[in-house]
Amino acid sequence: MVKLNDISIRNKLILMQVFTSVIVFGIVFGVFIITDVNSYKQRKVDSMISLAKVLGTNSISSIQFQDPEAARVMLEELRTVSPEIVHAEITNKEGQVFASYSKPGTNTFAIPAVLHGKHYAFTDQQLFVSNPIVSNKEVIGTVYLEVQLTELQQIIQYKYELAFILLLVALVFSFLIAVLVQGYLSTRLLKLVNAVIKIRKTGEITKAVEDKGRDEIATLIQAFNKMMEEIEESQKKKDEFIGIASHELKTPLTSIKGYVEMLDMMEQEQPKKQFVQKTLGNINKLERLVKDLLDVSKIQSGQLQLEMKEFDMDELLNETMNASQMVSETHKIIRKGALLNEMVYGDRQRIEQVLLNLLSNAIKYSPGENTVIVETEKTEKELIIKIRDYGIGVAPEEQTNIFERFYRSNTVAVHISGFGLGLYICRDIINRHYGRIWVESNGKGSVFNFSLPLKHSPSIQQT
Amino acid sequence: MNKILVVDDDLDILSLVQTILSMNNFDVEAISRWEDINTKMAEFKPNLVLLDVMLGGADGRDICKNLHLDKKTENIPVVLFSANPEMGKYIKECMAQDFVAKPFEISSLLKTIKAHVN
Repeated sequence: MVKLNDISIRNKLILMQVFTSVIVFGIVFGVFIITDVNSYKQRKVDSMISLAKVLGTNSISSIQFQDPEAARVMLEELRTVSPEIVHAEITNKEGQVFASYSKPGTNTFAIPAVLHGKHYAFTDQQLFVSNPIVSNKEVIGTVYLEVQLTELQQIIQYKYELAFILLLVALVFSFLIAVLVQGYLSTRLLKLVNAVIKIRKTGEITKAVEDKGRDEIATLIQAFNKMMEEIEESQKKKDEFIGIASHELKTPLTSIKGYVEMLDMMEQEQPKKQFVQKTLGNINKLERLVKDLLDVSKIQSGQLQLEMKEFDMDELLNETMNASQMVSETHKIIRKGALLNEMVYGDRQRIEQVLLNLLSNAIKYSPGENTVIVETEKTEKELIIKIRDYGIGVAPEEQTNIFERFYRSNTVAVHISGFGLGLYICRDIINRHYGRIWVESNGKGSVFNFSLPLKHSPSIQQT
Repeated sequence: MNKILVVDDDLDILSLVQTILSMNNFDVEAISRWEDINTKMAEFKPNLVLLDVMLGGADGRDICKNLHLDKKTENIPVVLFSANPEMGKYIKECMAQDFVAKPFEISSLLKTIKAHVN
């Protein structure tokens, strides 16, 4: 069963107009036909009663002189004069048949009950008429006529057929007109609908939809435009704010980091040394968080820009593995497999960011374990870097979600710090390099993979 | 000994950098008012200038350009210094030699300065 709310507006409008036309025309035609038929019937009754009167008057003498034959001959005239009359009967004042006429080939006459007390009555196919024969103010008999209504039936049928054809014509015309006219309403609405769909799909604020008008649709469109303007404005403000906040946060961080680093260099006595190092570790975390926030904001407003250059991937892997190793006492980071010996075209700093992030995650999410393995693979078209840990793994239903903003796994029992932005940023960076990033996990650890197209691969050359 | 001029309107950062560089055998002068730069340059004659970009009331990039346009200071290397990583892209435009982002690793700062000092 088609639901009304599921039909498109365009079709609803057309349906509405056609439906209205058909109903209105149907009613109008119906009324016309009925009034027509009724007036025909009335005319028929009047003319038949007149005829009955005439017949009655002409038969007065036959009745008075008891000459039924004369009356019968008169009635016989009806065969030629009024072929629609099927029966005619003259009764005397006792109700006995005085003279009658029947059109050949018809049933016997019977005065129907409906006629009782009335001058005329309609049955299915006949009209019965009666008229008293009056002479000297005395009723001496009655004339009965039975009229076959074939002509009426033919007329009715013809009218119905005509009406039906006209209705079809009306339907077609109203459909065509509706198709033309519905555009007036639906086009404006559809413009708005399309703009909304586009925004939902791409997440970008579409330019304001044009509309001049003062009806409800115009109100809707203008309100929508206003809302879009406000959203754009508030996004700008948000970006500005994040930029300023990030800058402001980094300034005291600079002092804190610098002085604590110096303390770290100067202090060798325990437990002071350990205190200083813990502080330094957290300062670095804080620094990363602030940078991540700024990056996310840039990604969101499309401002993240890459500086593409050639660099040696093995060298970068080495550097980042060393850097991550330096801050980890619990894990050993090992490189397995052959060296790549490849130059990669990309933003070295950003790829470094990705590697540091993945290595840090590998350590973070495998507390109690002690190995992180970095492996690489080279195909014709791309390099694949794999970072494997033996920790808590990633559940299948979460394997795509973890790359979303602010996603923190619900299934993780251990307290993991951070905003949940790292993988979101990694994904954006890798996507911009025309690579892919994904995770494979079967419960005992995870392997985070990302690919980078090789320099001579066609997708890079297009940029 | 190499002479470094540090310009930053944040006093804590200024003294931090001064301390770090002094401890690493540099002769350091530090100013927080950018208006004093020209006099300091003439007086101190540094081998390198570490120049903050966001100076209250002035843009380090413009100051850097002017230093390189001035005959007296055109050969002195300038390293831009900022919490905004985007500023690194302006090196060429301002005729600066390099860029250091805040916050920095001490080793990183030293490496950059040693690389560019005359």
